[in-house]
Amino acid sequence: MMDFSRRSLLAGMGAGLMPATAWGAALPKRGGSIRVATQSSSTADTLDPAKGALSTDYVRHFMLYSGLTRIGHDMIAHPALAERIESADRATWHITLRKGVHFHQGGELTSADVVFSLLRHKDPKLGSKMASIAAQFTQVRADGRYGVVIALSGPNADLPAMLAQSHFLILRKGTAKPDGNGTGPFKLAEFKPGIRTVAVRNPDYWVSGKPYLDRIELIAIPDEVSRINALLAGDVQLINAVAPQSTKRVESSPAHVIATTPSALYSNLISRMDRLPSGNPDFIAAMKHLVDRPLIKRALFRGFATIGNDQPIPPFHPYYNPHIPQTTLDLDRARWHINRSGLRGVRLPIYAGPAVEGAVDMASVLQEYGARVGLDLAITRVPADGYWSTHWMRHPLSFGSTNPRPTADLVFSLFYKSDAAWNETGWKNPRFDQLLMAARGEVDENRRRAMYHEMQAIVHDQCGSIIPVFISLIDGLDRRLKGMNPHPMGGLMGYQFAENVWWAA
Amino acid sequence: MVGGMSGSHRQQSLWPLLLRRIGSALVTLIMVSVVIFALAGLLPGDAAQEALGQSATPEQVAALRHEMGLDQPAPVRYAQWLAGMARADAGQSLVAGMPVAEIIAERLPNTLMLAGMTAALAVPLALAMGITAAIRRGSWIDRAINLASLSMVALPEFLVATLGVLLFCVKLMWLPSLAMVSAEATWSETLRSCALPILSLTVVVVAQMARMTRAAIADQLDRPYVEMARLKGASLSRVVLGHVLPNCLGPIVNAMALSLSYLMGGAIIVETIFNFPGLASLMVNAVTSRDMPLLQACAMIFCSAYLLLMLAADMVALIANPRLRAQ
Amino acid sequence: MKQFASLWAKAPAANRIAAAFVGFWLLLALAGPWLAPHPVGAFVDEDVFSGLSARFWLGSDYLGRDVLSRLLYGTRYTVVLGLGAALLASLCGTSIALAASLCGGRVDEVISRLMDTLISIPSKILALVLVAACGSSLPLLLLICALTYVPGNFRIARALAMNLAALDFVAAARARGEGKWAIAWHEVLPNMVHPLLADLGLRFVFVVLLLSGLSFLGLGVQPPYADLGSLVRENISGLTEGAPAILAPALAIALLTVGTNLLIDAMKPEGQ
Repeated sequence: MMDFSRRSLLAGMGAGLMPATAWGAALPKRGGSIRVATQSSSTADTLDPAKGALSTDYVRHFMLYSGLTRIGHDMIAHPALAERIESADRATWHITLRKGVHFHQGGELTSADVVFSLLRHKDPKLGSKMASIAAQFTQVRADGRYGVVIALSGPNADLPAMLAQSHFLILRKGTAKPDGNGTGPFKLAEFKPGIRTVAVRNPDYWVSGKPYLDRIELIAIPDEVSRINALLAGDVQLINAVAPQSTKRVESSPAHVIATTPSALYSNLISRMDRLPSGNPDFIAAMKHLVDRPLIKRALFRGFATIGNDQPIPPFHPYYNPHIPQTTLDLDRARWHINRSGLRGVRLPIYAGPAVEGAVDMASVLQEYGARVGLDLAITRVPADGYWSTHWMRHPLSFGSTNPRPTADLVFSLFYKSDAAWNETGWKNPRFDQLLMAARGEVDENRRRAMYHEMQAIVHDQCGSIIPVFISLIDGLDRRLKGMNPHPMGGLMGYQFAENVWWAA
Repeated sequence: MVGGMSGSHRQQSLWPLLLRRIGSALVTLIMVSVVIFALAGLLPGDAAQEALGQSATPEQVAALRHEMGLDQPAPVRYAQWLAGMARADAGQSLVAGMPVAEIIAERLPNTLMLAGMTAALAVPLALAMGITAAIRRGSWIDRAINLASLSMVALPEFLVATLGVLLFCVKLMWLPSLAMVSAEATWSETLRSCALPILSLTVVVVAQMARMTRAAIADQLDRPYVEMARLKGASLSRVVLGHVLPNCLGPIVNAMALSLSYLMGGAIIVETIFNFPGLASLMVNAVTSRDMPLLQACAMIFCSAYLLLMLAADMVALIANPRLRAQ
Repeated sequence: MKQFASLWAKAPAANRIAAAFVGFWLLLALAGPWLAPHPVGAFVDEDVFSGLSARFWLGSDYLGRDVLSRLLYGTRYTVVLGLGAALLASLCGTSIALAASLCGGRVDEVISRLMDTLISIPSKILALVLVAACGSSLPLLLLICALTYVPGNFRIARALAMNLAALDFVAAARARGEGKWAIAWHEVLPNMVHPLLADLGLRFVFVVLLLSGLSFLGLGVQPPYADLGSLVRENISGLTEGAPAILAPALAIALLTVGTNLLIDAMKPEGQ
């Protein structure tokens, strides 16, 4: 999956993640200033990690703040501000903080800062994106100047990975309105919501030698074609969310290159199981056999995708179950299921829109094949605006989109657990729920893996979440920008490129 | 009704009209704000839901709604906003958590600059094209101008802008592809980075203005008074500039004002393609984030700009054609 | 008809070409979907953005669909929506303007304020709000486009009518004791026809372009169908390679709009 060597992996376990060898073996060089364009930005842009919602926010937050842990290229959590994070029973965790880490505006990082930063997520008025996860913290308290104790409501082996998310980055204690004062590799120089963020090198960064760049200007260019043009015209040096159709353009430029990251991002067709007709098992089986996955991979994503099998764990995940048979396009079986379901000729609207990548086109593919087996699927295209609050999960058939999460537990807990707020399909599977809870506390790694395998099989066989492909993330960059090493947690090196890249002009 | 005075008292007679226009402008502004408020009420979801996004839990939404004051009934919220406006306070942005005035102040100068520079290019160009075409009616010049102005609007705006970027930014690398205006930039830098947005917008607005100019003048050319003047030996261009133009200035200026008002709120596509930090994209942003005070502020600005342009147009028409004031 | 025939005979070649163009587009809009060689949404080509070939006359689009078929369907949407909205807008705008200019006083005042209100809300943002609130549909698109251009037509028609009303022959008619509507119908309207026709032509062009602008913002015709502007928008990544998938609809828009305007110019009565 990733082009990283064993050596860089081991180095990554120690003092932060060293740049791997993907883009040139030259030694990192200090200095230089770059402009980076992501695809989304608005007046809702924020300096508050808890409220980060878009790629631009994540990049900004990882520039300014540091987290207790960070996810490595191996999808495993590594220590960052936390020197050690240990637990005997996976319910009570002891964190030992790194000493001598300083905030941009002065003051050493202490346990009080961490306690403040974690507990604020439990305040409903804050509107934290991690409120449902922070609900698991029954207690967060200081244990001396550099020690923190977190007590969870139940055992969860994945706490270190959860804390690596940008939302849990650490603020100075007592910060009512975050202003960029963190312990991150860059200091804030200018912040205009919806326009730009400028950050300059933090000479006192706790990872010695880093960062390399003097200055990063972060903007957003929502229009994809314009984003590519800005890169090719030399106005920006790094962009994310390159459309598969545009890769040829970037590659044909001698001064630019693309960086592809196979990721766990997927757009899925949600067939509500608590409603009819979408809850009819024959209907769901038919839909799964109507998906021409190779066509979607080839035509929609030009090969920049991994074929999916209607369950959310991608093939390159440590817990992926390789023994589930791949569902393929089979019009005869689909027709048989449709006839059995009695839905021949019934008009069924699918809600799709640009809010979900590839949704409209995937719906077109389904519509086309559906017509051949007697299914009348009608595409209702709805604008991106208001999609998540009005259409997502609200109709018998709609599209959803799920970003990569650091652990299998998080994906399953957020989207497939019976009582999850975003149980997209509304299914209820007691066996699945039971396995999910058991896996959180399971100490034996083999048994834990077996549980995740069974969960994937259950979702594949019974759930109305239809996942045709996992979408690869494509960044475009200037060849002089070195050190970019794709990270499965997201584009732009899992949004953490800032401290890892250097300018070799 | 308004001051049916003779031409000699022209100056004085304009004042009551101006005052009345300001009064009706206020009425229009209030009507717009009501319409915007009502329209936005039709939108699914609210600022609290949009801010929390996909991950919202009901308790969070309720808490944030209370924090934003969205739990109050709509008429109360409107009244509060109106009271604020009466004190020249546009309120606090629900989403960005800072005063609306501050956000607007960041972008209004950009939009005014873009619109101003486009107008400075487009208006003389359109007048020259329209007048030349009218004077040389039926000649090859007329046809050429006609065809040129038609082809200008024959392609979608986003295609024209994208073609411009491909040619001048990516291929030739003469101009930057982003209109990044900032306080530090010098005038020539700003002009260079805004060149393509200005050209794209000019292409969009110039055709309508040129064609209306030509149509209005051509329409007058067949009038007896033109023939009379021609018989007296005046050249056609002199008749057009001296007699015809003042007579048909009303529709021309009107068409121009209409086209120019497009440069404020209609520039959304150009703003998007060139990443220009202007008001139109801010307003779209306010719609998608359901940020009512910000949305209202943008609507008020666009409306005022339009009203000012129309007022200017009408003043020009009145000065040019005093008989209108007898109406 | 006879008048039309004599107009046709007298018209210069360029005008006849323009008329032929428009006739061609109207015909395509009517018959296009029957002529389409492939279903509008079918993925028929393995390759994307392929060039002209015997099987796909205009190549394939960004998903490998037949461009010719999509173009034929797209023409219908663009022509019907464009013509419908432009006519609707001009009809409403001009009648309201005549009423306003002749009634004058309070009626004029109220109507003018209403129009100002309507026009000062940017059309694409109005569309954004309405589509988000009501969901996209053809009648809504028609309504948005018409609504957008009523005030523009109104302003121009009103200015023309006001100017005419100030002229001597209208004053003379008034002195003869003719009624308001008779004056409107016999004296004012005939003298407004040519500028208004020019306006209608441009308004049609604007609706076509507004539709493409809306598709740029993702608010256009519902898939698998698409209007011409949406076709340009969805294939824009093929622009650098000069794919027929983007050139064909762009050319179609250009020919349609230019042809329409040339025809309107041609319809100007001789010797007025």
